[in-house]
Amino acid sequence: MKGLRFLRYGRLLPAMAWGLGLLILWEAASWYLLQVRQVPLAQSKLPYIHEVLSAFAEYGDTLVQEGAVTFGNAGLGFLLGAAAGALLAILMSLSKWIEHLAFPYAVASQMIPILGLAPILYGIVHDERVARVLIAGYITFFPVSINMLRGLRGVEPSALELLYSYAAKPWNIYFKLRLPASLPGLFSGLKIAAPLAVTGAILVELMGARHGIGVIMLRNLYYGPSHTYMFWSTVIVGALLGVASYALIGGLERLIAPWQPEFRDKGGDRL
Amino acid sequence: METAKRYPEIELANVGMRYSSDASEVNALQEISLDIAKGEFVSLLGPSGCGKTTLLRLMADLIQPTSGSIKVSGKSAKEARLARKYGIVFQNPVLYDWRRVEENIALPLEMMGVKKSERKRKVAELLELVRLQGFGDKYPWQLSGGMQQRVAIARALSMEPEILLMDEPFSALDEFTRERLNEELLSIWGQVNNTVVFVTHSISESIFLSDRVYVLSPHPGRLSSVVDIPLPRPRNRETRNSPEFFNLIARIRGSFEGV
Ligand SMILES: Nc1ncnc2c1ncn2[C@@H]1O[C@H](COP(=O)(O)OP(=O)(O)O)[C@@H](O)[C@H]1O
Ligand SMILES: [Mg+2]
Repeated sequence: MKGLRFLRYGRLLPAMAWGLGLLILWEAASWYLLQVRQVPLAQSKLPYIHEVLSAFAEYGDTLVQEGAVTFGNAGLGFLLGAAAGALLAILMSLSKWIEHLAFPYAVASQMIPILGLAPILYGIVHDERVARVLIAGYITFFPVSINMLRGLRGVEPSALELLYSYAAKPWNIYFKLRLPASLPGLFSGLKIAAPLAVTGAILVELMGARHGIGVIMLRNLYYGPSHTYMFWSTVIVGALLGVASYALIGGLERLIAPWQPEFRDKGGDRL
Repeated sequence: METAKRYPEIELANVGMRYSSDASEVNALQEISLDIAKGEFVSLLGPSGCGKTTLLRLMADLIQPTSGSIKVSGKSAKEARLARKYGIVFQNPVLYDWRRVEENIALPLEMMGVKKSERKRKVAELLELVRLQGFGDKYPWQLSGGMQQRVAIARALSMEPEILLMDEPFSALDEFTRERLNEELLSIWGQVNNTVVFVTHSISESIFLSDRVYVLSPHPGRLSSVVDIPLPRPRNRETRNSPEFFNLIARIRGSFEGV
């Protein structure tokens, strides 16, 4: 119960106030551009929020369907990338030799711009689904690996000596100390990667696919001003997917590693 | 000789420890020889930097001496460690954040492959021993510093170590808490009856607890004197107010002035 109250007063209320203020400001600015300044193509630049919302209501089914396709592909790639990243982190923590071998390539891989990599990859695999999954995984891999490695390595020496004094077996040192200690790092990597994986999947969709939020985003952009509201709806769906992915990982973190300092009850509600 | 009859548990002969790196060399300990009998409570006393922690870590096989030999029950310190003879309490509690109090206490038992039901029984016993009943399901950060250090003691005792090594376990606590925990430690020791090597920089703490105090002096760390503490047990508040107690304090303080 305490947690929920914290949510209501500590976070939800200010968030709602901010949201409402932003909406009002948006409507006002939109009206100003359209009616007062009479800017050409004013609605493409800043559409009425209520119009966007009505497009949302009208084409909700499509938006949800296409959004789900994007989210599914991004999610699959994310899972694969996270698994590969975690595995590499574990291997690198076990052996300096593997780290020296793999680390420079892991860093170098991040120098390739996604915008260039996506069409190359698409040209090779010729499958929109596989390409999306691969790009999402590729983006996820690095932050997860780096952050988790730091957690695995950054164990307090005295915590390690304690196990040494119990004559602990190597796997016990791993499972009882290093892995739990790496969870905060793992989750910060996952939280960085999750929205990026969604963005990556959308990027691949923009380059040619039959389904996904990126596809209708592009289509409505081509159709021009008449489809402005729908275009903006797809952009909002894309953003929501990113937020949802982040929130999902955050929730998972609270379940799996609730012992971290930032989750500790300070005692007394913050009002 | 009364102690000679007893079985020597820890024997150090001419132990020296030199820390060397590329840039510098520190002669941390030099020619340390001492015998600690089974079941004794001894203290290593000295100002900070005189090598107390180094000496304790040598006994625990966390580091190896650069000269001399260390024997535990006639065998090497490494064999003693592998046989899980040591319980160690560090200056900081070193509790694992992700484990509840009872899980922290059970950590050594898990390493030893003790069954879950048996672990539960032992943890309950230990919580009572260190007077933390009802705190088993708390997380370490929900406890005060003194309580955390009691958890660390319970954890060290859980594997029923023949030797308990303690490195200034109470130095971060206020004096009231420290004196209370000193009395509790003695009552625990009275029940467990293992060998204790206790590191401290407090003269009164070392006298109150020990059968014998090894006084160390710095640069390089050497044994400057050995003081037997013949105060009767059980020791309590009255012990601290007795003239014998004050005499011993004066004597040990005097041994520092010679340095
Ligand atoms: N790992 C180390 N490397 C180099 N020098 C060290 C190391 N540990 C301790 N020393 C040095 O050895 C001396 C004794 O240290 P220590 O055993 O920690 O003393 P105490 O516990 O009595 O304060 C100090 O001069 C300290 O700087
Ligand atoms: Mg020390």
